[in-house]
Amino acid sequence: METGSARPKAGLIDWIGLRWFFLLLSSSIGQKFVMGVTGLLLCGFLVAHLAGNLLLFAGAKWFNDYAHKLHEQWEFLIVAETGLFVLFLAHIYLAFATTFGNAKAREEQYAVKQTKIKGRVIGANSWMFASGAVVLGFVLLHLTDLRLAADGINLRGFKYTDDAFGNTLMVLKNPISRAVYVIGSIVLGIHLSHGFASAFQSLGLNHPKYMPLIKIGGKVFAVVIAVGFASIALFAPEIWRGYVPVSH
Amino acid sequence: MNHSTSKTLNLTLKIWRQTGPDQPGALKTYTLTNISTDMSFLEMLDVLNEQLIAKGEEPVAFDHDCREGICGTCGVMINGQAHGPDNATTTCQLHMRKFNDGDTILIEPWRAKAFPIVRDLVVNRSAFDRIIQSGGYVSVNTGGAPDANAIPVPGHMQKDAMAAAACIGCGACVASCKNASAMLFVSAKVTHMANLPQGQAERSKRVLSMVATMDAEQFGNCSNTAECEAACPAGIKLSNIAQMNREYMKALLFSCE
Repeated sequence: METGSARPKAGLIDWIGLRWFFLLLSSSIGQKFVMGVTGLLLCGFLVAHLAGNLLLFAGAKWFNDYAHKLHEQWEFLIVAETGLFVLFLAHIYLAFATTFGNAKAREEQYAVKQTKIKGRVIGANSWMFASGAVVLGFVLLHLTDLRLAADGINLRGFKYTDDAFGNTLMVLKNPISRAVYVIGSIVLGIHLSHGFASAFQSLGLNHPKYMPLIKIGGKVFAVVIAVGFASIALFAPEIWRGYVPVSH
Repeated sequence: MNHSTSKTLNLTLKIWRQTGPDQPGALKTYTLTNISTDMSFLEMLDVLNEQLIAKGEEPVAFDHDCREGICGTCGVMINGQAHGPDNATTTCQLHMRKFNDGDTILIEPWRAKAFPIVRDLVVNRSAFDRIIQSGGYVSVNTGGAPDANAIPVPGHMQKDAMAAAACIGCGACVASCKNASAMLFVSAKVTHMANLPQGQAERSKRVLSMVATMDAEQFGNCSNTAECEAACPAGIKLSNIAQMNREYMKALLFSCE
């Protein structure tokens, strides 16, 4: 088998033995593989984040104890936050790379285009870049609201205290923030409703025995994450309406 | 689209006309009367072309060969659907009884950067040939048909290989994909041979090489919308793409290629 023109000339990248890594990030299938892996790992983060944040319903003591114990382990946090940052960066880079590549693959559009899938509503799978962009915007706002503030960088003009529970309620009490948090959660759910199951396909994990479970599981996961986070933004400030922040 | 009850149809056609690869193209409107519902879609185009020739106009160029759904030569977008409204059907197998009297039918060529338009509805699909040339075969002579059961192949793998081999390379997957991706085509060829004993020796090299050629030909990526599966006249499945993904990652990370 002559691989001919498809195989590039050997260069520095082969000398240091990173051709496989280059192809992982530049070939069509490699890109979707990394997209899927980073996406699923970010799903793991969502589970941990939602589990922690649901303690907002349990009360100030529970939530603040959790927050303090988490932030006491600063060595772990540095690793975790760096890891998350790399995951986000890779996921976002690949979103741009694949979207530009896809746009280039058909420069002249059809006058009319219709689906052949019976009953298909053009849904989440055609809006991954757009829904991802909304989620990114929301994440940046959320980091500004509640993460940078912890490092003393106050870009939003809120009056932060060292009471994590009080700070969260304060942000969510702002009607605009609250609406953005609810919308952000729902759009995240839409993104996941395609992304979760699709990641398995990109990883090649398609099996007649498990596909129904993966597909249904993806939808259920999307609903749980969206409803979980949206419910916090909607109800937590109402439940703890009379809460007075404590400054330690 | 309902089955028509009338025996003949009067139709308005809007067809993409383009005189050459680098010429500007446009949709041109034609009217046809008394088209029998027993005609195939290509026969309807034949009738149009006869009328155009009689009038001294240039006939509409379209690709066709076997007219029985096995060669993969024909294929146009009909009202925005690759090979028209039916599933598991090529353009030549589509019958005019699927249309109604008075319908307007819009006919466009496959559109993809990797499939440049040659003329009217004819596109150049040699990108598919170059993908096949880069690995869609077994290099050694595998001899005549071996004795039955001399090489045991599990039934499900034989069925998967046979199902993948049904791909006729028509390009409907590329045409129907919002990203003009060739994943369904390449996956059919990769999995066909990966599932059979004769394909094992070059299994890793094949998938790496074919995917590299597919990327170099500037086909898009897979968004997993399954439009290709619905448009495929040969019934190639999304699970073929998953297997190709698996084959590619195994070859990329664990093979010596």
